[in-house]
Amino acid sequence: MNLSRRSLLLGAVQGAGLLLLSGCEKAFNSLQQNRKFLSLLESAEGANQHLQRLLTGKNKLAQEFTEQDISRYFKPNGNPPPITMDYTADAAKQWPAWRLEISGSVKQPARFSLPELRSMPSRTQITRHDCVEGWSAIAKWKGVPLTEIMQRVQPTPEAKYVVFHCMDTDDSGAHYYESIDFLDAHHPQTILAYEMNDRALPIEHGAPLRLRIETQLGYKHAKYIRKIDFVASYENIAAGKGGYWEDQGYEWYAGI
Amino acid sequence: MTNLVYRHNPITRTTHWLNALALVILVMSGFQIFNAHPHLYWGSTSEPDQAFLSIAAANDDGEVRGFFRIYGWQFDTTGVLGVQNTELGPAPRAFPSWLTIPGYFWLAGGRRWHFFFAWIFALNGLLYVIYNIANGHMRKFLFTAKDAARMPAMALYYFRIRKASPQEGEYNPLQKMAYTSVFFALTPLIILSGMAMSPQLNTAFHWLPAMFGGRQSARSIHFILTFLFVGFTFGHVFMVLMTGVLNNMRSIVTGWYKEKGSDFPEPVWLQGFKEEMIQKPARVSVSHQLPAPEPEEIGPAQKTHQGRADARQQDSGIPKSATNDAQISPENSQQTLPIHKNEAKKDIVE
Repeated sequence: MNLSRRSLLLGAVQGAGLLLLSGCEKAFNSLQQNRKFLSLLESAEGANQHLQRLLTGKNKLAQEFTEQDISRYFKPNGNPPPITMDYTADAAKQWPAWRLEISGSVKQPARFSLPELRSMPSRTQITRHDCVEGWSAIAKWKGVPLTEIMQRVQPTPEAKYVVFHCMDTDDSGAHYYESIDFLDAHHPQTILAYEMNDRALPIEHGAPLRLRIETQLGYKHAKYIRKIDFVASYENIAAGKGGYWEDQGYEWYAGI
Repeated sequence: MTNLVYRHNPITRTTHWLNALALVILVMSGFQIFNAHPHLYWGSTSEPDQAFLSIAAANDDGEVRGFFRIYGWQFDTTGVLGVQNTELGPAPRAFPSWLTIPGYFWLAGGRRWHFFFAWIFALNGLLYVIYNIANGHMRKFLFTAKDAARMPAMALYYFRIRKASPQEGEYNPLQKMAYTSVFFALTPLIILSGMAMSPQLNTAFHWLPAMFGGRQSARSIHFILTFLFVGFTFGHVFMVLMTGVLNNMRSIVTGWYKEKGSDFPEPVWLQGFKEEMIQKPARVSVSHQLPAPEPEEIGPAQKTHQGRADARQQDSGIPKSATNDAQISPENSQQTLPIHKNEAKKDIVE
């Protein structure tokens, strides 16, 4: 075989390979757009949720770490902090105007100020934050267990989900929100954190109040919370998938 | 001398191909997930300056260059890793679009594919293992101390330094080592290291990330094990190509494998295991591997062939006489009348 024939042949093989690869790429991409196929793929989410919760049982605690394990760097991910005048002015004065509003299917709707939340029983935990992107960081969190709030507002039986409405928005102005079910809401490590590493919660990590839900990935940990809604269904909120990232295709069950 | 033997049961064949599909999709969707944070660490957390491996992009005097960095060793990989050249110019991405599912950057999509096919991979593997432990097949490639001792001899045989194969039984010592480690080490470890990344499972099983040295270690090991799978698959495909690709493909598609008689007479006690001898690495081209019906098929040798197949049949309990072929092999469905056994076999050879 002479050199030009060989290079021709090699070129042909290479071309065929590339054609095959780009064909595969197109096929995978079009399958990704196919509603029916996508819902087939999505069936794994329910399977994961049922298997994992079956394996772990209720209210088992996520691993807690020591002060030495606290990460030097904790990436502030997600939307940039809110830049409204209300938010920045209130932040500068340590949140005199901010209230946590509790509404929806509860017997006693309420509004709590930050000092009121701080005066409730608290929980401190050094836990690992696992981002859906793949990184992990450890920090110390102090806050009020969500169960404390629930005892005070008393959700009614039709309430199935707890929805967290946030002050931060994306480029298009859409507000961040998240929802969890009562199993995770009752978890002892599910807290509304107002302190991180022994200091008031920093702006970039969700001041004045953020959710810590140690059974789930980072995007469930809503920051900049302004309102908690107890609902029977989250279908009528935004795109109806139960959260800002869920509306864009991420799993509602973020246990893996 | 040639002889067709029934090698792979339908469960093995089905799970093999489903597994092949699942593996390809798991690797490619895994690369998509990796692209969301293309750095690896040891321990529980990911301090940015502690990554031991990175596939990323850097600005080199206004030019975007892709690099692969491992323990401080950095290689420019622009065009393949770190930076991909697209119609719109160079685009930073760790693994190129043609290696990821979906082919554009979309972590959520990659996760959907990955978790669905992780279930397929696990359940399919479970079916294979349960079925083939129950029927005794897996015992045939269980790696033992005896095989360990024979590995050097087998390697010498593969490299044609040694003439006689040290193989006994259906699988040679190196095959046993490969298959045993894939089934009993690689597969459980890749599933466990994947599960070790789950915060929900972390609530009840603190030992799960701990057994790998922390969650980020588990993530790194999950990634490294992927390449052991990829390496195994390339080795596997290479051996399939080298030892008679058409015959091998027929056996994993239809179950039927054609053996070549060896050049020297074998002891009688080995005849029942005749099918279990591998072919020598083929020097001849593929077209020579499927000869025209050989005249030796007709004649006195025929009895011994059938005798061997029957002996084999008693071993596994699966009926393999040519008259039953019609039920087992769809290619043979036209053979409804009881015909001369040898002719039926030849039909399959074609």
